[in-house]
Amino acid sequence: MRIELKREGGLAFFPGLSRPRGVDLGELPPDTAEAISRGVQEARFFEQPSTPGPASQRGADRTSYTVTIDDGGRRHSVQLVEPVEDPRLRALLELLKRAVKEHGGSAHAHQ
Amino acid sequence: MHGLPRHRHSIHCILPPYLARQIIQNGSPQQRARILRTLAIDNTFRAMRLMRSGMPRMARALIPGSMVVESQKQRTIYDMKNSEQFPGMVARIEGQGDTGDVAVNEAYTGLGATYDLYWEIFGRNSIDGNGMPLNAHVHYGTDYANAFWDGERMVFGDGDGEIFNRFTLAIDVIGHELAHGVTEYEGPLAYFLQAGALNESLSDVFGSLVKQRTLNQTAEQADWLIGAGLFTDEVEGKALRSMKEPGTAYDDDVLGKDPQPGHMRDFVRTWEDNGGVHINSGIPNRAFYLVATDLGGYAWERAGHIWYETLRDPRLKADSSFLSFARLTVIAAARLYGQGGEEEKAVRDAWNQVGVRISRAKAGEPIEAVGMPAEQQPVAH
Repeated sequence: MRIELKREGGLAFFPGLSRPRGVDLGELPPDTAEAISRGVQEARFFEQPSTPGPASQRGADRTSYTVTIDDGGRRHSVQLVEPVEDPRLRALLELLKRAVKEHGGSAHAHQ
Repeated sequence: MHGLPRHRHSIHCILPPYLARQIIQNGSPQQRARILRTLAIDNTFRAMRLMRSGMPRMARALIPGSMVVESQKQRTIYDMKNSEQFPGMVARIEGQGDTGDVAVNEAYTGLGATYDLYWEIFGRNSIDGNGMPLNAHVHYGTDYANAFWDGERMVFGDGDGEIFNRFTLAIDVIGHELAHGVTEYEGPLAYFLQAGALNESLSDVFGSLVKQRTLNQTAEQADWLIGAGLFTDEVEGKALRSMKEPGTAYDDDVLGKDPQPGHMRDFVRTWEDNGGVHINSGIPNRAFYLVATDLGGYAWERAGHIWYETLRDPRLKADSSFLSFARLTVIAAARLYGQGGEEEKAVRDAWNQVGVRISRAKAGEPIEAVGMPAEQQPVAH
């Protein structure tokens, strides 16, 4: 399973933080990889619409994350805008943010 | 004489009405605004007394209503305790003292300073102009490195400690978020492309005014940075943005280089960041800085009033372009300070310097931007 995370928005635009970042689950410590696999299932990631939650037109400076997961021929992208209301999606996003920060590389290397 | 209440200094003790009227006629704009508010408060109290005195309803109806209401600063700071589940715990309410939590206190002070700018300078009663309570939520999430307005409330993270410090640290950022609320209530500016960059710029303008007023700085003394102090020492940079010199706020290995343009020739066409709302805001930001420094003195006085009146102009549309907004600022300057005056000239010159040229004949006809970035060209005359 390969995961790509792209951050956008927030109080300022930082070119260095908006580059897509990716990780292969195989490269992660087994505990982390297992937690993410479980998180993907619990959040029913592959059944989520591409923009879950109420499409609020209001607000400003929110951060949004585009999560793309490739898993054995299945590929799905979901855009999550903070604050993420669904607790399972929120938990998954937290796991992914941490994994990408600690182990992630540039997403382009694998494309 | 036991049983008699001791004398309290009510507001009408401050000035006899005839003196107040004289100040209204001859005083400075600040004195005038202050007195008008005092008189309004005075009327409110008088009306309340009459109400209680059992005066007939018909007679009461003849008493003129107050011109302005009393300040309704009503702050509540919530502690999210590092969760993302709203609303969190109430940590400090209006009138309550120091809680010992620095983020709570900074949010409380920052909301107060922002409310005061809108109330004391622009006569606006809170975000909606109608006393809307101000709610801020601090300690949002874990290592959360952002601050945002969600349409109802302001939310502040503690920062990740590596790149960002806590987001309540910068009072202009607090003002920035609250100003998003004002823009949303006041106008229809979409959060997309040039209109979105104007929306962002207005938040930087009023956020910066909050900071400058708190520090009692003139336009020349101000640093015109947005979010100074938010970066940790690890970052090569001084702030999130510079209104004075867009594009120079940071240049760092992790964050990259500040992408803001300060002139239309460098306008960035992108679909990222809602079409570059935090990028191209550098252009109107610099225009405001140029007006404020050209006019001199406190930026919230003339430059701030011109921008505030423009925000309130019903001709400002959801998809207003920089040019359309610029024309409205020229109209506002002429309306507030006289046609052909130094203010109107300063505004026109400032836009010209950032590559937005306003022809004299067309100043009264705002145009709207077309939706595609490719069509957001500077208009040459």
